[in-house]
Amino acid sequence: MNPPLAYSLRRRLAWLLTGSVAAIWLLSALVVYQRAHDEADKLLDAQLTQVADTLLVIVAGGEVEHFVEELHEHRRNPVPIAFEVWHTEDGEARRLLTSPGHAGFEAGGSAGFSESLHQGEHWRLYAVQDDDAEYRVVVGQAHAAREGLAREIGVSLLAPAALALPLMALAVWWGVGRSLRPVNALAREVGTLDAQALAPLGESTALPNEIAPLRGALNALIRRVTEAFENERRFTADAAHELRTPLAALKVQAQVALRAQSSDHQQHALTQVIAGVDRMAHLVEQLLTLARVDPANQGNAPQPLEPAGIIAEVCADMQPQARRQAQSLVVDAAPGCPVTVTAAWLQIALRNLLDNALRYAGEGARIEVQLARSGDDCVITVADDGPGVAPALRSQLSARFVRGEVEEDGCGLGLSIVARIAALSHARLELGDGLPRADGGHGLAATLRFSSARDQA
Amino acid sequence: MRILLVEDDRMLGDGLQAGLTQAGYAVDWLRDGEAAVAALSTESFAAVVLDLGLPRRDGLSVLQWLRGRHDTTPVLILTARDQLEDKVRGLDLGADDYVLKPFDLDEIAARLRALVRRAHGRPEPLLSLGEIELNPASRSVTRAGQAVDLTPREFDLLHLLLENAERVLTRRTLEEQLYTWNDAVDSNALEVHIHHLRKKLGNDLIRTVRGVGYLASANPPPA
Repeated sequence: MNPPLAYSLRRRLAWLLTGSVAAIWLLSALVVYQRAHDEADKLLDAQLTQVADTLLVIVAGGEVEHFVEELHEHRRNPVPIAFEVWHTEDGEARRLLTSPGHAGFEAGGSAGFSESLHQGEHWRLYAVQDDDAEYRVVVGQAHAAREGLAREIGVSLLAPAALALPLMALAVWWGVGRSLRPVNALAREVGTLDAQALAPLGESTALPNEIAPLRGALNALIRRVTEAFENERRFTADAAHELRTPLAALKVQAQVALRAQSSDHQQHALTQVIAGVDRMAHLVEQLLTLARVDPANQGNAPQPLEPAGIIAEVCADMQPQARRQAQSLVVDAAPGCPVTVTAAWLQIALRNLLDNALRYAGEGARIEVQLARSGDDCVITVADDGPGVAPALRSQLSARFVRGEVEEDGCGLGLSIVARIAALSHARLELGDGLPRADGGHGLAATLRFSSARDQA
Repeated sequence: MRILLVEDDRMLGDGLQAGLTQAGYAVDWLRDGEAAVAALSTESFAAVVLDLGLPRRDGLSVLQWLRGRHDTTPVLILTARDQLEDKVRGLDLGADDYVLKPFDLDEIAARLRALVRRAHGRPEPLLSLGEIELNPASRSVTRAGQAVDLTPREFDLLHLLLENAERVLTRRTLEEQLYTWNDAVDSNALEVHIHHLRKKLGNDLIRTVRGVGYLASANPPPA
């Protein structure tokens, strides 16, 4: 794939603005030119009729000396007028006069305006005669000369525009550059950000409305990244701290075993050492699981699946442990409630919920796993009739390394893992009252609530 | 020397209890902050080994409560947190020492000895009275330079008496400091130990104060 072509916003804007202004200018100049042309036509036509009428009066009145003056006057006209005077006597028409340098039009032609080809040029002619048709005056102007006048008007209109356009381009170039200055400043500011210690960009400098959202979005991103970064950092620190206590226990128990005076004491300490190693292995396993539950490791997008099979499978795996602890593990999961989740993740989540229930509900407890539809949601519940958890403590339990107030040693990560899977699968983890106990209290119920596909859209 | 261990982790608490008992301490072990407060409000201990992350009541809160009632029992804090501010905060709240997990059992024992010694305003590590000399670290006793063989209980009793030399200790105080809640104590066990100590160290060292208790003294009894 080719990299997208880089372009300058400034140059593009300058071209765009100058180009469109030039086009509009040209268009309006054309319109003005057309109008000027029409007006000039009317004006020149009026001039033609006036000249013809005057000539007729002069010729018919016999005042030929005036005629010379007229002649000179019309020489100065920007659009020269050619004319000829015809005299009709006894039915015979004779050309009496022509303007100087004029070869004479073709004979005949009607009165009023007409177009004529004369010596290879287009002419506009106007003819008039006196009442008794004795004298006839024909005046004409070459169209080329008339066009010349119109062109002159057009050029005089366009010339300033041609001069103004480069000036305008310069002004646009400068103005756009100046307007884009905050963008450069923002880029410089972003460029100086320290990746190790991201701090939001200063909000104190005023930015144009068009660029302020960019800064806002950048700051929101920086905050999110910082939070995620901080979360990871805290997690690493927490995890390291969590390893210290079991390590201390291992070391102390090993030292106790070394110094034990009786074999009973030594036996006890060594058993503890082995249990401690198992415990650390479990902690490491859970840490790795938590690290693996990451969108980057998810592979393909999860497809809707029937959780009933996975529930049955996980429960079957846990049955031996339940039997060892004289617990009854009851499954009630009928198919017909598909959820969108990565299968492996659902397995991990269920295993952790069940492990918690088996671990903390105590000997002889009853544990029920249920899959049910609740409105549009699919709900998987793992409920027990064990000691339960005080409502105030429930909300803290899904935090990392938080344990309930129980005798059993867990690593405090199980519910964190389930909560993370829930968050990444558009599901909610809820902790509530579980099965009723004989003494009137309730055990704990952990519920995974998967929203319907419609809600996710 | 009876100490209170407050540690919620079962495996670590179990190990510390066993290890410190091996080191000659009488160790009572509690697993949450509230229980620690209850124990400390009714009984006296030579020192407290306190974990910070405790259920029901945080270790720092226990420490604050203890110092709030002007109890000067030495407190050694155990923690997994090595942030400087955590350390500073613990010491500011009145902790006497601070040990980071994982630690060495010997180190804890040594630090506890130092804490107890300092709590009695004694700069030197050896306790001596007359021709008797007691070394808490090696748990050995000499009389005029000659090693004396004592049982652990006899040693602890002598240690207590020498630590509080020239002061009368009541029977109850002695029993409290010598025995944990788990020890079954015979009603005349104390007399038996005193009797053995007198036999090994001479009759003049430990005097009986009738109706009150015992005291160790280098001076002859008033006539």
